[in-house]
Amino acid sequence: MSCIAMGPPGPPPFVSPFLSLFYRPVRSSLLSFIFSSGRHGLVLLLVPIPPSSPLMGESWFHREFLNPRRLAFNVLFYGTHLFFFAYGWYSQATNIRLAGLNTLGYSVWISRGAGLVLAYDGGLILIPMLRNIIRVVRPKLTWLFPADENIWFHRQVAYSMAFWSMVHTTAHYVNFINVERTQIRKQTAQDIHYTQPGGITGHFMLLIMLLMYTTAHQKIRKQCFEAFWYTHHLAFFFMIGLYTHATGCFVRDSVEPDTIPTFPFYSTEHCLGYLSWRFTIWPGIIYFGERVWREIRARRATRLSKVLVHPSGAMELRITKPSFKYTAGQWLFLQIPELSSFQWHPFTITSAPEDPYVSVHIRQVGDFTRALGDRLGVGPSVVAAMTQAAMKGAEKDDKAGVSRGDFVELDPSISSISLPHVRIDGPYGAPAEDVFSNEVAVLIGAGIGVTPFASILKHIWYRQRKGRLGSLRRVEFFWVCRDAPSFGWFQSLLQEVEAAQADPNFLRINIYLTQKIGEDMLWNIAVNDAGADYDPLTLLRSRTMFGRPDWKSIYGQMKQAIEAGQYLPGSTSQLKTKVGTYFCGPGVLAKAIKEACDESSSSTVEFSFAKEHF
Amino acid sequence: MGNLIWHEYSRFVSITATVYAIWAGFFGLFYRKFFWDFVGGTLRDPGGLQAPPGAAIFVSLIIKAPVIPIMAMILGMVILCIEMPLPAIKGLSLHRSLVVRVILLLFQTFLTILFYQGTNAAIWSFIAAGCYIRAIMLGEEMAEAKGNRGRSGQA
Repeated sequence: MSCIAMGPPGPPPFVSPFLSLFYRPVRSSLLSFIFSSGRHGLVLLLVPIPPSSPLMGESWFHREFLNPRRLAFNVLFYGTHLFFFAYGWYSQATNIRLAGLNTLGYSVWISRGAGLVLAYDGGLILIPMLRNIIRVVRPKLTWLFPADENIWFHRQVAYSMAFWSMVHTTAHYVNFINVERTQIRKQTAQDIHYTQPGGITGHFMLLIMLLMYTTAHQKIRKQCFEAFWYTHHLAFFFMIGLYTHATGCFVRDSVEPDTIPTFPFYSTEHCLGYLSWRFTIWPGIIYFGERVWREIRARRATRLSKVLVHPSGAMELRITKPSFKYTAGQWLFLQIPELSSFQWHPFTITSAPEDPYVSVHIRQVGDFTRALGDRLGVGPSVVAAMTQAAMKGAEKDDKAGVSRGDFVELDPSISSISLPHVRIDGPYGAPAEDVFSNEVAVLIGAGIGVTPFASILKHIWYRQRKGRLGSLRRVEFFWVCRDAPSFGWFQSLLQEVEAAQADPNFLRINIYLTQKIGEDMLWNIAVNDAGADYDPLTLLRSRTMFGRPDWKSIYGQMKQAIEAGQYLPGSTSQLKTKVGTYFCGPGVLAKAIKEACDESSSSTVEFSFAKEHF
Repeated sequence: MGNLIWHEYSRFVSITATVYAIWAGFFGLFYRKFFWDFVGGTLRDPGGLQAPPGAAIFVSLIIKAPVIPIMAMILGMVILCIEMPLPAIKGLSLHRSLVVRVILLLFQTFLTILFYQGTNAAIWSFIAAGCYIRAIMLGEEMAEAKGNRGRSGQA
């Protein structure tokens, strides 16, 4: 087995021993890489990996407190929450004008404190969703916070909101029953709960939270994205409820609520709430503005110019939209009004900015993508037949028959199929331009996380042709994947890029297959691989390796090779060689690679790691 | 479009509603109030609402002794044991029964709607029950847990 994995016929002699060290034997527990593929095969997983993976065997304390960044976040985030709670409590308890309310005691202090915290959370919750603003500020702020973790942050705020809602609501149940019992105000508890604005909006917000939180569970999101997507738009009503929660003037020093006929319909003379809506409404307004702007932008002229169907089942949509400017490694939202005029689905852009079109590759894995396949007349059954034919062809003879990389173009002028209208929104995600400021770029894609590299590799290739590579001298591309054949379209792209390489040392493709390999497959590989020019699995000149990459030895070897001057001829004269790693994939792997990077850095070679770049 | 598995969704609603019910029942021990006392009740100053004589049974079960909140808490814990589920219940057909869940949740709705703190839990439990009914109507069935789950070295 090891001979299969190691036998690289092509690369220059000094690379050979280097490569063999990348290899680590296949183990029986290879299934530990379980990539979540989102709903569509191609959804770029910017997933801010909640570092809760049990695989790491790390203690909760270690994770939350012994990691400086996380510690800083925890101190800041929970610190401000506790501060607002304490301040809310204090300002209520010490306010002489609210002496009447203060007769209720602890419950009113707690409810006011928690209320202020909730206002803070209500202001924060939308900020991570300001996608366009984040896209603009992210490149400038990567040093400060991992901006791609915006959904993670959104969730942290939501968890905090759930907790403080519980505190706030519980305290108010006590408040209102005590108001009724003491008759400090001539009302019953039910009156306050169900006839006054504070109570009504509060109960509605709780109900909306129940629906939003339950449908946002990752299990539901994966099953039925629509349920999550539509339900999450209840946020609109939630925010309205939040901004109007205090309009009932519950916190007052007068007997009756002091309402006025003009906005905001209560006087601040006697209504002594925190008036937090004046602050928290701004993220809401900006978010609303963003949604409007996205709608306007999406309406600009867009045309689906071509659809290519790859035998592996991936559909390549080539879209022309002159107003759409993007850089390599970004992603977009796609809408097909014919299928649904509300849903926007995220896809990674697979074309390079130099291409005259924007392309996305879509695998038929979810209901939306399958519906799209049906619409284009290439539903799952058609694709299956095509794949089979292609596989047969590939088995017989790579060159004469149909190779796996061949695709079928859907041409509306020949066939009866018309192309649907599409709308795209974006781009989102950070550009990968700084690849060119490194001498060596290590691009690592794991599983579905390989998709942004399609665009980046193409982009590098275009720049290489124009001779505008910056300081980039070599590219190491790693693809760690459970079963490569399911990503046939990517293989064909890699084939093109590989074939176009004049300098065999510039780009090296390393593919690691982590799948458990059966005996039949093993023999098949052994028989077909020996002496063949192309790898039998991927049809690339680069050999597929089996098992998981050992990052420490990979980086260690790379460092040694660079220091010895073998890797980059002539680089020894330089003071410091910069090796930038760009990773997209699951967090467990990110961590292992980052550790390897940190460990291998020395005074002459600087390894940097960027996970949040895509 | 969409392929929502309703009983898996209902589980989340049910767990949320049930945790609320237990919390509500707990506070019902300390602040005892019959929720429906405003129907025909008299407002005392001080003292609050006093339920009409017709509701004497609820006054004795909620205010004099918090029997209903305690029952709601126990029922809530039973539901949680089934939903989470407790290891001992995991293999039983009870764990996979959607009908049992509907009945328990409707019973929870009934119990929690009677006392002051429980109204939201009642509404939410009712929603959960409705979702489970939808799952039953769609013919969903809960798969039996795999025997080898969590045991290593046997696969």
